[in-house]
Amino acid sequence: MREITLSQAVNEAIAEEMRRDRTVFLMGEDVAEAGTPFKVLSGLVEEFGTERVIDTPIAEPGFVGLAVGAAMTGARPIVDLMFGDFIYLVMDQLCNQAAKQHYMSGGKLSVPMVLRTNMGATRRSAAQHSQSLQAIVAHIPGLKVAMPSSAYEAKGLMKTAIRDNNPVVIFEDKLMYQDKAPVPEEEFLIPFGEAHIKRDGSDITLIATSSMVQVAEKAADLLSKEGIEAEVIDPRTIVPLDEAALIESVKKTSRAIVIDEGHQSYGVTSEIASRLNEKAFYHLDTPVIRMGAMDVPVPFSPALEDITVPTPDRVAETARKLCSGELIHAA
Amino acid sequence: MAKAKTNTEDYLRMYRQMMRIRTFEDNANQLYLSAKMPGLTHMYSGEEAVAVGICEALTDDDRITSTHRGHGHCVAKGANFKEMFCELLGKEEGYCRGKGGSMHIADQSHGNLGANAIVGGSMGIATGSALRAKLLGQDDVTVCFFGDGATAQGLWYEVMNMAALWTLPVIYACENNGYSEYTKTEEIAAGSITARAEAFGIEAFQVDGQDVLAVNELTQKLVARCRKGDGPFFIELMTYRYHGHHVGDINREYYRSKAEEKDWKDNRDPIIRFRSYLVSEGIATEDEIEAMNTEIEKDASEAVAYAEAAKYPDVSEVDMHIYAD
Amino acid sequence: MPHDVTMPQLGMAQDAGKIVSWLKSPGDPVSKGDALFEVETDKATMEVEAQASGYLTGVSASEGEDVAVGSVIARISDSADDDGPAPDAPAPAEPDGTSDALPEGKPVTMPQLGMAQDSGLLVSWQKSPGDPVKSDDVLFEVETDKSTMEVEAGSDGYLAATLAQAGEEVPVGHAVAIISADTPDTPVSRSVAVRTTAASEPAQPAAAETATRPETAAPAPPAPQPASGRILASPKLRRLALEQGLDLSRLVEAGHPQPYHVRDLEVLKALPQVSAHPEVTAGATAHHLVAKVSGDALTDFTQWAADAHGLTDADVLLAGLAGAALPAAGTVAVERFGASTSYAMPDTRRLSGVARTDAAPDLILRDLRGTAIRQPHMAADGIPVLTLTQRRKGVRITMECAAGQMTAQGAIQLLTDFAGMVEQPLRHLL
Repeated sequence: MREITLSQAVNEAIAEEMRRDRTVFLMGEDVAEAGTPFKVLSGLVEEFGTERVIDTPIAEPGFVGLAVGAAMTGARPIVDLMFGDFIYLVMDQLCNQAAKQHYMSGGKLSVPMVLRTNMGATRRSAAQHSQSLQAIVAHIPGLKVAMPSSAYEAKGLMKTAIRDNNPVVIFEDKLMYQDKAPVPEEEFLIPFGEAHIKRDGSDITLIATSSMVQVAEKAADLLSKEGIEAEVIDPRTIVPLDEAALIESVKKTSRAIVIDEGHQSYGVTSEIASRLNEKAFYHLDTPVIRMGAMDVPVPFSPALEDITVPTPDRVAETARKLCSGELIHAA
Repeated sequence: MAKAKTNTEDYLRMYRQMMRIRTFEDNANQLYLSAKMPGLTHMYSGEEAVAVGICEALTDDDRITSTHRGHGHCVAKGANFKEMFCELLGKEEGYCRGKGGSMHIADQSHGNLGANAIVGGSMGIATGSALRAKLLGQDDVTVCFFGDGATAQGLWYEVMNMAALWTLPVIYACENNGYSEYTKTEEIAAGSITARAEAFGIEAFQVDGQDVLAVNELTQKLVARCRKGDGPFFIELMTYRYHGHHVGDINREYYRSKAEEKDWKDNRDPIIRFRSYLVSEGIATEDEIEAMNTEIEKDASEAVAYAEAAKYPDVSEVDMHIYAD
Repeated sequence: MPHDVTMPQLGMAQDAGKIVSWLKSPGDPVSKGDALFEVETDKATMEVEAQASGYLTGVSASEGEDVAVGSVIARISDSADDDGPAPDAPAPAEPDGTSDALPEGKPVTMPQLGMAQDSGLLVSWQKSPGDPVKSDDVLFEVETDKSTMEVEAGSDGYLAATLAQAGEEVPVGHAVAIISADTPDTPVSRSVAVRTTAASEPAQPAAAETATRPETAAPAPPAPQPASGRILASPKLRRLALEQGLDLSRLVEAGHPQPYHVRDLEVLKALPQVSAHPEVTAGATAHHLVAKVSGDALTDFTQWAADAHGLTDADVLLAGLAGAALPAAGTVAVERFGASTSYAMPDTRRLSGVARTDAAPDLILRDLRGTAIRQPHMAADGIPVLTLTQRRKGVRITMECAAGQMTAQGAIQLLTDFAGMVEQPLRHLL
C-alpha cells in the first residue's frame, strides 16, 4: 500500500469531501494560499477557489461563529483553528452555541461543522502554542472529539467528521504532520466510536490517544523484550468512546495504563480510568494508572519541556511495576 | 408616521402581529407571576414595532437570530401561540420540546434560528447564515436582532468586519431600548453606535422603532438591496422596553424613572399610534380593531389553557437530541 | 369576571414570597398597574402591581406571611362587595378569640421580587390597622438580603387587617394586609407565627416519633468489622477467590507477603483451606497491638504499695491495673509460669477491693517477664490477652484478641489505658 504523510491524508480527505459535497467549505486564518503554517491545506485553494477556501481575519470567535451559523443553515464548514490553544478564544461559539443548538431546539436545528485544530508539546513553542486541550471540549455534551494517531486515521476520521451532522473537533498532533503511514488509495471512512487494537497483548493494556499511541507502541516493544506482552488500543474518538473495546481488553489483561498528552488532572486519562474502574473493577488486578502531561504550563526550555510528557521509557517502567505486582501509589 | 400605503391587508396584519406580541407577553407575564412558568423571562412589550416592522419585510426563507428578549421576534416571524406557550411551560409540544424555554424559543420552520441567552451570542450565527446564502447562491437575507447592550461585545466587531469584507446579506438590527440590563446604555457606550458600523464601511441607519411603518419601509429597502448583493446593513431602532430587564425587575427607579416609563407608554406606544393611524386613514374602524383584539386575546387564553393542560416531555427525553443522527 | 391575585413568581427557583405589606385595602378600587402589595423574597422587596382593574376583595393572606408562589391571595372583582368564597390561602386559626372571618378587602401579598426569593422580612408597619390609606401611602417596609423597600398601599381605603408583624418573615405570595373600601368595623391584626403554630398539630410529630423509633432500633447491630485485619488484594483476585471458594486469609496465615494479585492464586490454592478456629477466623481477623513502656515506675509503685498500704501481692496490683483498663468491672486472670489466678475487680475499681474469685475471666494477663520470650505472637484465645514481656529497659505489653471479641477501637483503648497505668501507676489512684 502507498504511504503518505498525515498532512497529505488530511488534505486528501478534505479535497475528496469538497468534491463530493458542494456545501462543504473551508475557512480559517491563512488556509488559502498559505495552506496553514503547517502547509496541510496547500493546493486546495487552487482546486476550489477562494469562495470555498476562505482566508479569514485573525478573529477566532468571529469565524467560528460564522461557521456555526453556516452549519445551522445548510452548509458544512470546516474551520481551521491554527493552534489548539486558541480553543479558549472560541469557547462561547463552540460550547454555548455549536454544542447546544440541537438540544436547545428539541432536535430541530443541527450544526454539522468540523473544527480542525492541533495539539502536542515538545515543539519548543511554550505555554500558549503547545497545549493538548481535548479534555476541555470532550467535557461538553454535544461535541464529538476525534484524535487521529496516524495518516490513516487522519484521513478516515476527517471524512467521517465532515459527513457527521454534529460539531466535531479534530485534534491533530503537530509533530506527526510529516509522519508517513500506509493509506489506501480507494475511499474509506473510519466510523466514530470504534477503537482500534494497534497491537495484541495479554499482560497489560496500554490505552493511548493520538501522539501517545506511538509512545505506547514503543513502550510495548521494550516490554516485549522482557516477556511482557502489552496490548495497545487507540480509541480514535474520545467522544464517542468505544468503552466496550477498552473493557474487553482490560478483562483480558487485568491491567491498564491510560496515556494522553493532555494534562493528567481532570483529563482524558482520568475519565477513561474512571470508567474502567466502574465497569471492569472485578477484572482489575492492579490499579488503572493515568499517564498524562504534567500539570504545569508547557515550558519553553527543551530541558524542561521534554519531561512534561509521557515517554516510552516511563510507560514501560510503569507497566513493568504493575506486572511485577508491585503496588504503586498504594496508600 | 411614514407615508401611507395602500396595502390595507399588510397594515392590518402588522397591527395584528403587534397586538399578538403584546397579548402574548401579557399572558406570559401573568403565567410567570403566578408561578406557573419556571425559569427566567424577559418581556418584549413596547418594542413590538421593531420585530413586526422587520419581520413583515421578510419571507419564510429569510432567517433571523433572536435574543433572550425573543418572544416578539418569534411571534413576528410566524410562530403559533400554542407551541410557544407550551415551550414557555416546558411542555412536550413546545417548539423545542420543552428543552429551550423562554430564552431559546424558536419556530425553526419559519426561519427563526433561535433566541440566544448569551448577549450578542447569535451575531456569529446570523453572519454565518448570510455567508452560507452567498456561498450556496441562495438569495435569502438574515436579520440579526440584538440589543444595545450587545454592542459592547467584541464578537460584533469581528463579524461586521467579515460581513463587510465579503458583502454578506445580513442586517444587524440593534433594538436600542436605552438600557443594558439594569444600566443606562449611555453609561456604558462610548461614541455613536451607528458610527461603529460605519467604521467598517457598513451603511447604517437610525429609525424610530415605535413606528412600524417606518421600520418596515426601511427594512424592505435594505432586504431588497441585500438580495442584490449590497449587504450588509446596520439599523439602530430606537425603542423602549416597558417591563424591567426580566419579570421580577420591578423596583427599577434606581436606573429609570416611572415618569419616563409613563411617557413612552402614553405617548410613544407603537400599537396605540398605529391603531389611531389605521382609524384616521379609514383602514379599520375602532370596532373592527376591538374585534381583532378580542379575537387575539381569546386565541391567547385558549393557547395558555392548552399549554397548562399539555403534558411534560417524558423523562426518557432528557438525553435525546444531544447529538443529531 | 374576577381576577385572581396570586403570589407572583419573580425569579428562578423561587417557591414563596413574604407579604411585606398590602398597599390596597379590601374593597378599594384598583386600576391595572396600581401597586397592590409589597413582597419580599430572598433577593429583594418589591411592589406588585395589579394585573387587572376592579375592586380588591377576598384578601386571604396577611402581612408578614410567607405565601407559596402561585397561591391565590386575593381577587380583583367587579364590585367592592364581592363576597364570593375567599381564595384558597390557609385561613389561620385565631387563638385569641378574634377568629372571625377576615374583613372584606384587597389582599396585599408579599411580592416575589427576585430570583430564588422565598420570603421577605417585614421590617415595620407604617400604618396601623384601621388607618385610612391612600394608594401611594407607604404601608410597610420589607427587607430582603439585597435591600429594604417601602411598599405602598396601592389603593385607597382602610387598612382593615395586618396579617404579619414587624420582624416576621413572610413567604412571597402570602397576604400581608387587607385594604377595605369602607372603614373596617373591627380591624384585625395577626401575625404569621400565630398561623404557623396553629397549623401544626403538636400531637403529630410525637406520634410519628414513636412509630418510627422501634424501626430504627430494630436492625441487628452490625457485625464487628476487622479494622486492622484488612487484606490487600486486587479486585480480580478477590473475585476469583470468591468464585473458587478460597479464603484469602490463608495467605496471611501462611505469611505470604501482601498485596495479593492473581499470580498469588496458585499459592492460595496450595494452602489448606480449613481454619483451626472456625468461629474465630484467626490471624487476619485478629487484633495484635504492642505497647512499650518503661518498667521503673511499676517497680517503684509496687514497693510503695507494699510499704504504705501492705499490698504485698504483686499480682493483685497487676490485676487491679488491668481490670481498671477494662471497659466495665470484670475478672482478670493473671497467668505466670503456667499458674493462673483470677481476681475480681470491684465496681469502685479500687486496688484495695481487688479479690480472688473463681468466676470466669474477662481478660488474661499473661506475665512472661523472666522468660526468654520477647515478642509473643499467638493466635487469638477465647478472651482478650495482655502479655507482659521483658525489654532491655522496661516492659513490652502485647494485646491480642479475636476481632469478634473486641472492636479495634476497644482494643486500642484497653491497651492504651493499661500501658498508661503501668508507666504511671499512680494514675490509677486518680
